[in-house]
Amino acid sequence: MKYQVVIAGFGGQGVVFLVKVLAICAGNRDIAFLGTENHGMSQRGGAVSCDIKIGDFTNPVIDKNQADVIIGLDSNESLRNIAFLKTGGTMVVNAKADYPSLPFAVARVDANAKALQGAFPIQGLNVYMLGVALASVKDFPFSIEEVKNAIMQMNPKVAQQNIKILQMAMNDCK
Amino acid sequence: MKQTLMGNDAIAWGLIHANVDMVSGYPGTPSSEILSGVQKIKKMLSLPVYAEWGANEKVGFEVAYAGAIAGKRACATMKQVGLNVASDALMSAAYIGNLGSMLLVSADDPGFYSSQTEQDSRVFAKFARIPVLDPSTPQDAYDFTKLGVELSEKFKIPVMLRPVMRVCHAREIIEMDDTTEFKPNEGKFVRDVPRWGAVPRDGRFAQGLDQLERVEVIAKYNWDHFLKPQFDGCKGGELLIITSGTGYGFTQETLKDLGLEADVVKIIMPYPLPVKEIQACFDAYDKVLIVEEPYPCIEEQIAHPKVYGKNTDTVHKIDEMKKEEILKAFQKIGFYKGENIYEAPKIDLGFSVPARPPALCPGCPHRDVYYAIMKVFKRKKSIYPSDIGCYTLGIAQGAIDSLLCMGASVAMASGYSIADPSKDVVATIGDGTFFHSGIPPLLNAIYQGHRFVLVILDNSTIAMTGRQVTPSRVHQPIDIKKIVEGMGVECMEHHYSHHMHENVDFFKKVKEKYDQSTSGPTVVVVREFCILDAERASDFVPNIYVKVDEDLCVACDQCTTVYKCPPMSYNDKGKIEIDPFLCAGCAGCLEIVCPTDAFVVDENYLKKGK
Repeated sequence: MKYQVVIAGFGGQGVVFLVKVLAICAGNRDIAFLGTENHGMSQRGGAVSCDIKIGDFTNPVIDKNQADVIIGLDSNESLRNIAFLKTGGTMVVNAKADYPSLPFAVARVDANAKALQGAFPIQGLNVYMLGVALASVKDFPFSIEEVKNAIMQMNPKVAQQNIKILQMAMNDCK
Repeated sequence: MKQTLMGNDAIAWGLIHANVDMVSGYPGTPSSEILSGVQKIKKMLSLPVYAEWGANEKVGFEVAYAGAIAGKRACATMKQVGLNVASDALMSAAYIGNLGSMLLVSADDPGFYSSQTEQDSRVFAKFARIPVLDPSTPQDAYDFTKLGVELSEKFKIPVMLRPVMRVCHAREIIEMDDTTEFKPNEGKFVRDVPRWGAVPRDGRFAQGLDQLERVEVIAKYNWDHFLKPQFDGCKGGELLIITSGTGYGFTQETLKDLGLEADVVKIIMPYPLPVKEIQACFDAYDKVLIVEEPYPCIEEQIAHPKVYGKNTDTVHKIDEMKKEEILKAFQKIGFYKGENIYEAPKIDLGFSVPARPPALCPGCPHRDVYYAIMKVFKRKKSIYPSDIGCYTLGIAQGAIDSLLCMGASVAMASGYSIADPSKDVVATIGDGTFFHSGIPPLLNAIYQGHRFVLVILDNSTIAMTGRQVTPSRVHQPIDIKKIVEGMGVECMEHHYSHHMHENVDFFKKVKEKYDQSTSGPTVVVVREFCILDAERASDFVPNIYVKVDEDLCVACDQCTTVYKCPPMSYNDKGKIEIDPFLCAGCAGCLEIVCPTDAFVVDENYLKKGK
């Protein structure tokens, strides 16, 4: 298998958490992976993106025109990383309805609005968007069960809450 | 045992599995998690390991190196610019050597992600004439850490491990020792004054001769153990690619992506190289391409008419490794004639996507302190030298005029005050940087009578690199105010307040004192906290959330240009809006920041975590 995912957002949104979840999914199935983080000097509120390459790779960086999926936790950050999405790839994004039309498959959800309405606490935005990716990307390399197991392994204390959010996203995308 | 690890954690485990029991150093991205990783393992397994931060890289290196002289297995960790600070100690240690083991980990940052230079530590190892190992992946980082410790003990000389950011901060499943049977080393200093106390000229000259001989021996070892087995497996042909570190992984993927084949040799030890043996292998090829980063370290050692690399303008000379750059190098030497598969399709969005420039965290007290400084010491009449740390991000507020290196703000304030006495010089430095290298220049300014304002921003942590402890926080806490007073000058003290007028009033007092002074620095310490400091922040953050009264907002740009808090931006109505997910509840913007007082308390604000 060869599958490349870019996760883009800003510091505080839990970008790295998602990479860890996907890494555990790969590890549980004994598939090799390489991941890396791209961020500058700022911490909370600064641009962050992570690359994860699942399968037979020898360096952790995703080049332009190579990613199968981008998961954008923020609308602008998703667009600033768009050069990495390959022709035929999927953009999964948290954005308002005015998100521009792109020459890719786009799965757009206004997750900020849902959180503001109280559907889930904002710390769960990352997991919600992973749920959107699971529901809308046909060739996503992991099943919902695998992702749930990985979330359990990450931190059993908050796993139930996260799994609820993941399920909510899957239902919302039906 | 298989384990998912980040490169820096892999190095930490490698140290423990190599029985390294003295680790020191100084935080610096991308190296910081190595020492904190050792601390975590130490705690988890209750191991008898010394793993503590030094006051700066030089101090850290020297603590560890003395351990290595006394027979311990020791390690010093730092980033590449930290090695500049430690270099005085390194250059001599490279003559004197060690009885135990001395591994120096110097993490490079090709691409300037969080460093002021892109310098190549491998070149520094060559300069110091010590061997250097260049890992490609976290697995290599683990293996080479153990190898480096062994080689240092074998050759009785410090060995450098040079991981780059894409190794330190990469994550993969690695294979490591199944069990940790940690055996600490007995430290025993053996008096040998001619060696440990070698004096110029004769003592050091003799060590210099040993050094030259040792480099030859290690180069031969490099050939026998690392290079010959690889060259023996090479087939010859159009192109030989010689690479090291991340270059290896990028090269292999590029060849696969393009469907090309070439012999690839991975240099594990980029210095010292067995030059003649390597060059003799070039006969079997038309061309030799060197893929390495960031400087042409290998290329310059094995320069030859068949060799292509950075010095022939074939490979990019600045910025980190990319497969696209290797593809272009293949095109330049005629090895690949197809299209650029790494070119992104052109997409016209019809608008430019707003950048998210580096900024201080929401709720960071530095922002408010800078704001207050600029309210009192006006930009037009001031020079603001600053320093290396989170507070460097105050540059977005216009609160910083110059940056150089750790601790430079203080001595540069001296220099500016001499060169342009018509301006008020107001320098800012964090507590970590002050402890690291801000004390000697302050001492200099006091005894030379240089007149400027020094503001020490004390959040009691090394925030930028992940909140490591400072000397004010552990063991015997050291107070900055007393250090300053010990040099014979007053240290004005202020406790940061989320009521902006209190910060502004304090700096008015500072200006009064400075205006009255005729000689010497006016030194100030502002007691702050780091908003991400889980231990302390909750004692300080008022949790007062803010919204915008749109009737009052006149879109004057004050908050977006001078205050620069990330949650603030214009909405579709042309009014400022606060991003509910980013506001930290610090209340810093409620006073003075908005000329029309449009920031108001929001009782019903979305509370984080509730």
